[in-house]
Amino acid sequence: MRIRNVVQLHTVNRMQFFGWPLVFMTLSLALVLVIGGLVLGVGGPDAREGMHNGMQWNGAIFAVLGPLIGFGFTAMGQYFPLALGLGLTRREFAVGTSLVFVGYAAFFATVFTIGKAIESATGGFGLGIRFFDTYYTGVGAWWQTAIQSFLVILAVMLVGAAITTAFHRWGQSFLWAFWLTLAVIVVAIAGGLILSEPFRELVGQLGQLPWIAWMGVVAGFGAIGAAVWLTLVRRAQAR
Amino acid sequence: MTAIATTGLSKHFGDVRAVDDVDIALAELRIHGLLGRNGAGKTTLMQLLTGQVFATRGTMRVLGAEPVENADVLSQTCFIQESQKYPDTFRAIDVLRIAAGAYPNWDQEYADQLVEEFRLPVKRTIKKLSRGQLSAIGIVVGLASRAPLTFFDEPYLGLDAVARRMFYDRLLADFAEHPRTVVLSTHHIDEVSNLLEHVVILDEGQVLLDADTDELQDAALTVSGRATDVDAFLAGREVLERTVLGTLATATVPGGPDAKRAALDAGLDVSPVSLQALFVHLTTANASSRATDVATV
Repeated sequence: MRIRNVVQLHTVNRMQFFGWPLVFMTLSLALVLVIGGLVLGVGGPDAREGMHNGMQWNGAIFAVLGPLIGFGFTAMGQYFPLALGLGLTRREFAVGTSLVFVGYAAFFATVFTIGKAIESATGGFGLGIRFFDTYYTGVGAWWQTAIQSFLVILAVMLVGAAITTAFHRWGQSFLWAFWLTLAVIVVAIAGGLILSEPFRELVGQLGQLPWIAWMGVVAGFGAIGAAVWLTLVRRAQAR
Repeated sequence: MTAIATTGLSKHFGDVRAVDDVDIALAELRIHGLLGRNGAGKTTLMQLLTGQVFATRGTMRVLGAEPVENADVLSQTCFIQESQKYPDTFRAIDVLRIAAGAYPNWDQEYADQLVEEFRLPVKRTIKKLSRGQLSAIGIVVGLASRAPLTFFDEPYLGLDAVARRMFYDRLLADFAEHPRTVVLSTHHIDEVSNLLEHVVILDEGQVLLDADTDELQDAALTVSGRATDVDAFLAGREVLERTVLGTLATATVPGGPDAKRAALDAGLDVSPVSLQALFVHLTTANASSRATDVATV
């Protein structure tokens, strides 16, 4: 199997694959540091605790998570047609791309974990800010950040690849069905939260689920994405 | 040995029969022309033969085996398609690096030479390249891959006449040094007619003609001379094409040695029929025939 060729296909442009996500991450971190400095400068030490707690939901890490999410879509949307054009088989593409997904998730999970370790050890880079130590990448121990980051990145790439492959197969009608289904689910949840007390309690209980259970949910999404993607890619055709 | 053999090969997209019951057998180590009007099914046929799309029905053998998901066959096959999409962020050099790894017979020195000759800016991102430069990427990959079976689907869209000439010259020279099977699909029929040893003409997904170019040259002839002499010669004959310029006329008619002798006896100049004239006649006649069939029904 020509797995090496598929890996090379995804990684041949190093700047695009590794460079830009790291550049975005660094710029985003720099911006958060500036904001932290300004908050401390204006609010003084009293503001530090509030900022530290509030930044548990800091979404600045999406500056790098965003491109990683997009990678799952481009893998099928742009790299798959080229792989077929170069005479690679669907099986080779699927195996090679799966390895790239796992390696990519492991690389950035390691970056996030190292970042979190430094952030924790320095008290939020001396400013009390949070960039890596957030709910999206895990606010527990360092190994939880490693596992959570890995699972989240891998899951979104697999789901992205699955969605693109389904679009490849069924075209615009799939997108209509997908967005309609998503809209119905969102409206149903919003309606339940507004109108139903038991539903609100249920959602509250879900929020209290232990970390390991949430990891099970993320892994479940990833597994469904992988199953759909690997099933559909076997019959995907050039468009 | 046969490089490509298909039996009843069909590909339907809903009601559209892009490829319809195609039976062909292409010998190896030759340059084959795959001709047809827009939408005739040329690209779809090549996509089928390279496993990019799945057949609705029928069988095919490429380099002796079924090509779909067959790494042994596909690694020996290079398909340069006009509509090839590249990732937006890629540069030409990225495509060439991947191709170098994907094709076992890749000749890097030759690829570098072609990049120079076609003036390909390899470090510019794909989305900033012109149509002709995109075509040049395909030509470099197609030639330098030295794949035993190479498909060129309209490989020179956007290229100027000089670059097209260069492509023909490089293809012929490299083919002579490294014989392989080439399938060339094009609309520039007259430009490639000297390259082709065998021609398949598709029309509306079906094979309209499958013949060696030598046979085709004997199948029809072009006569020219004074319009009155030409018209006298054409009386009672099937005319494939006729053009008049002042008092002179040129016409293409079916026929072998007898027709040639008659034309010479009539004082006309005789030359072999051009492939393009034959192509235009066949596809036009087929369209008229279908229109008549529809009108009759």
